[in-house]
Amino acid sequence: MRFRLSDRQVGVLFMLPLILAVGIFLVWPIAEAVRLSFVRYNPLRPDDQPFVGLDNYLFVLEDPLFWESFWQAIVWTGWSTVLQAVIGVGLALLLHQPLKGMNAFRGLLLFPYIVPTVVIALNWRWLFNSEIGIVNHLLLSVGLIDEKIAWLSTPSMAMASAIMLNVWKYTPFVVIVVLARLQTIPTELYDAAKVDGAGVLRRFRDITLPQLAEVLAVVIVFRTIWTFNKFEEIYLLTRGGPGTSTYNLALYAFDQSIANLRMGVGAAAGVIMLVLLLAGSMLYIRVSGFGREDKAA
Amino acid sequence: MRPWIAAILYAVLGAITFVVCFPLLWAISTSLKPKDEIFRWPPTIWPENVTFDAYRELLFGGSVASAPGAGVPPSAYFLTWFGNSIIVSIGSTIISITVATLAAYSLTRFRFWGQRSVPYIAILGYMVPSVIFVFPMFLTMVSLELTDTLFSLILGYVCITLPFCLWLMWAFFRGVPIEIEEAALVDGATRLQVFRQIVLPVALPGIIAASIFSLIVSWNDYLFGRVFMNSMENLPLTVGVMHFFDGTHVDWALMMASSVLMTLPMAILFGFMQRHLVAGFGAGAVKG
Amino acid sequence: MTLRLTRRGALASGLAAAGGTLAAPAYAQTRERVARIWGEPGPYIGVFTNGMNEWAQRNAPGLRFESEQIAWDAVYTKLATDLAARRPPALISVESPIAYQLAAEGLLEPMQDVNTAIRARERLVDGFTVDDFGTWKGTQYAVPLHHQGCLFVVQDDVRQEAGLSDPTNWTWNDLLNGAKAIQAKRQGSAGFTMALGRNLCGDYHIQQLIWQAGGMTWDPGRSFETTFNSPATIEAYEFIKELYGTMPRSAVEFSFLQVVDQHVTGRTGSSFYWGRTMGRAFDEAKPIYEKMEYYLNPAHPRTGQRWSWTDINGFIMPRQNNPFIREAKEAMAHVMNSTDWMVRYANSLFPNVGPVFKDQATAPALVNNPMYQQKKRSVDVIFTGFVPYACNSGHEIKKGINPLAGIGHGRNVWSQVAQRILVNNENPRAAVEWGHRQFEDIRRENRRLLG
Repeated sequence: MRFRLSDRQVGVLFMLPLILAVGIFLVWPIAEAVRLSFVRYNPLRPDDQPFVGLDNYLFVLEDPLFWESFWQAIVWTGWSTVLQAVIGVGLALLLHQPLKGMNAFRGLLLFPYIVPTVVIALNWRWLFNSEIGIVNHLLLSVGLIDEKIAWLSTPSMAMASAIMLNVWKYTPFVVIVVLARLQTIPTELYDAAKVDGAGVLRRFRDITLPQLAEVLAVVIVFRTIWTFNKFEEIYLLTRGGPGTSTYNLALYAFDQSIANLRMGVGAAAGVIMLVLLLAGSMLYIRVSGFGREDKAA
Repeated sequence: MRPWIAAILYAVLGAITFVVCFPLLWAISTSLKPKDEIFRWPPTIWPENVTFDAYRELLFGGSVASAPGAGVPPSAYFLTWFGNSIIVSIGSTIISITVATLAAYSLTRFRFWGQRSVPYIAILGYMVPSVIFVFPMFLTMVSLELTDTLFSLILGYVCITLPFCLWLMWAFFRGVPIEIEEAALVDGATRLQVFRQIVLPVALPGIIAASIFSLIVSWNDYLFGRVFMNSMENLPLTVGVMHFFDGTHVDWALMMASSVLMTLPMAILFGFMQRHLVAGFGAGAVKG
Repeated sequence: MTLRLTRRGALASGLAAAGGTLAAPAYAQTRERVARIWGEPGPYIGVFTNGMNEWAQRNAPGLRFESEQIAWDAVYTKLATDLAARRPPALISVESPIAYQLAAEGLLEPMQDVNTAIRARERLVDGFTVDDFGTWKGTQYAVPLHHQGCLFVVQDDVRQEAGLSDPTNWTWNDLLNGAKAIQAKRQGSAGFTMALGRNLCGDYHIQQLIWQAGGMTWDPGRSFETTFNSPATIEAYEFIKELYGTMPRSAVEFSFLQVVDQHVTGRTGSSFYWGRTMGRAFDEAKPIYEKMEYYLNPAHPRTGQRWSWTDINGFIMPRQNNPFIREAKEAMAHVMNSTDWMVRYANSLFPNVGPVFKDQATAPALVNNPMYQQKKRSVDVIFTGFVPYACNSGHEIKKGINPLAGIGHGRNVWSQVAQRILVNNENPRAAVEWGHRQFEDIRRENRRLLG
């Protein structure tokens, strides 16, 4: 920021690709989505797009399935995020211990993050198959259950399976971030506390947790927004079923656009998600202090 | 640390690791089972008769067609899909990383109007659900007559990878001290020389972390591939393997073998880059 | 070898594209023209395509037909995106409700010329007309390809073990009691299985019960008035609810695949399905195959009806942006005029795709199929016995063609109603009323299709 004006051109030059890319890949598609939300668009008849005003939005807001999807998305997001945060912090603390071979454990435990969603969803359908799935077999043989659980056939169990999938895949993200933060906490803090006679729990409460607070808040906001928006996990695992008990808004928007041949309505649902997202990011900005004049740098 | 504490920690870690890895172990076990063993109840934990038929069918296409002259079975496309996925993942990553690195450097080293709001926009873009992007992007591809091309998929993936790459690179460059650059500039080096010789080497860990992220995201995508692509030979892997779900018959061994093969490239990449990943993500998230 | 070449081609073109040559879409790299043919998953569409390529080699050098298998739950995504992309397939093998819908939308190429060229009217097996496959307002838009009726599949050993009578004359009551008896007799096995998931298969299985009870969704005779909330429909759903007690609990997520899995792996005494269950048992589970028998659906005790949801499957052709219309028509006629190819087609997944032409149905190569020889009674039910009861959602109870059904399937309204009852414990009457409103919406939104 203290450089001479002379190479200002380089700076502008470096920005040009981004400006172009943001225009093409961010602004344009969103603008197009907003436009679509005001027209009736049957994908079988792409040439006929009458303007319908706010009809699509009214349709969405009056559709009980939209609200059902909304509340289910909240349940899904809430449980997923809380479990990810709790398990993630626990695992990160465990992985932070100075033990031999820790790198191998780290690798294996972070691994789910890179497994393609298609793979996990298929595996889940196979593991949780109610008739011949291994999960039922193991639970039966251990004696935890007396009869096979129809995992993906009852609303609560299907939701639980979807949450498990999400937790399995994305807890590593929390672990990665928390672990990185743990590595930056000065050990002197702990040494001083030890001298003062603080036990493990007190040290966690008084030192670790406050140090983690900021990064945790950031991670939780992120995970909340992402989980809320997720499409593939649920689409590939349950397609929103049984009934509509695992629908979320992304699935709702997709199904309106394609299965129901109402692209405009799908786009309106998307725009509503976008508004919710804006609210969420406001929260993020408040929480992280992002954009405030940066003293650290 | 006392040995018994270490022993307990190892035990806990071992148990958790087993649970976490179990789905993939089970996929491997299933992929090695012959057809008649797959539907057995109770299931066999490890196949009684190990067979590599499923892998052979995927990798060498020597498939057992259900009827003579029955046309090409979907499994014959596996390697083609694999190649497609590699192309589109690398393609979109190159675009995203190039754009993001240049812009992030510029954002942290120069002062100009709107500078502070760019990371905001990136973070917003990062959170936009892909279901919003997919149809407008698709319609755009239609008007450019690019649908069903790998190039369209590369562009589609830039939508979902660029914002985070930009954000990561921006956070990374903010953490790189500028004194060396200043000194070099004072010594008469040009800005481009500084960028190439001093900045890029320092930024490499950030570039690697962002690339891995971008590769993972594009390799794993299903939605864009499903909507953009038509022809069997142009599908990415994720969409292609869903074709193994024949209407009345699923070859679970084939399914699980392709799961394993599909995860493999990412696993290898991850194995090599794990440390950079932790460092890079950490930098991004902590800074942001 | 060919595979490797294609891959290298894709790699090269992809890299070129990634390098920035915007103008070169991947498919434009090959000089060969490729016409895509859509069909259900299964080998038969590939066989038909091979026949078309035989024509192409002789008459249209440089043209290649390529089959693409589309799972039917993906057909809407594919249709919507491909038509929007103005890159439709050259030819689609499709179930008639979707054919009617697309025909009414004005998206299809008329097919009278092909039907004349193959003498469809004279060759068609008894009980079907060319119009059943996809005629709208007097224009034929489909060419007959195959038929499949949904039937009642029973394991005879299990049935006898439970002391049950011959299912030929069963009514709904016998079905329910029989399923209960089997369930009681065989630990861990379901008495009966049908698809109740939110998918096409669920829609189909449920609809045939509605028709048997005398209900229908829209009445073409009364300007397509929505008639879903009739007592007959409610009765059918109440029956399903009762029957669900004899099914696996996970039946509410079942689609085509899971019903066949359930039956072929010996975990149900009976099920609703098309011919494929027999074919798969023949391939994978001989003991099951040996005891398997097909029957007409159990009759409704009051109406006596045994309606069977029938895939009356024809070839349709997108009209706009389809550069292959003439060639695909000629190639198709070439294959259909050849009894030999049509027999190969039917034999490629025996007895799943029923023969539509008399010469095909009586050809020695088909009649000599080992399954035909061993299971003559059952295969006759599958190929011809069900025909008097054949109808489908686009032609309910044979009371007239209706283009709205395809949209209803896109939204899976029929199976959603069942799911509300079975999963959410909603009262059947209330759930049917909900479905009625959905169907009424579909009718209102698409009035233009009805003309």
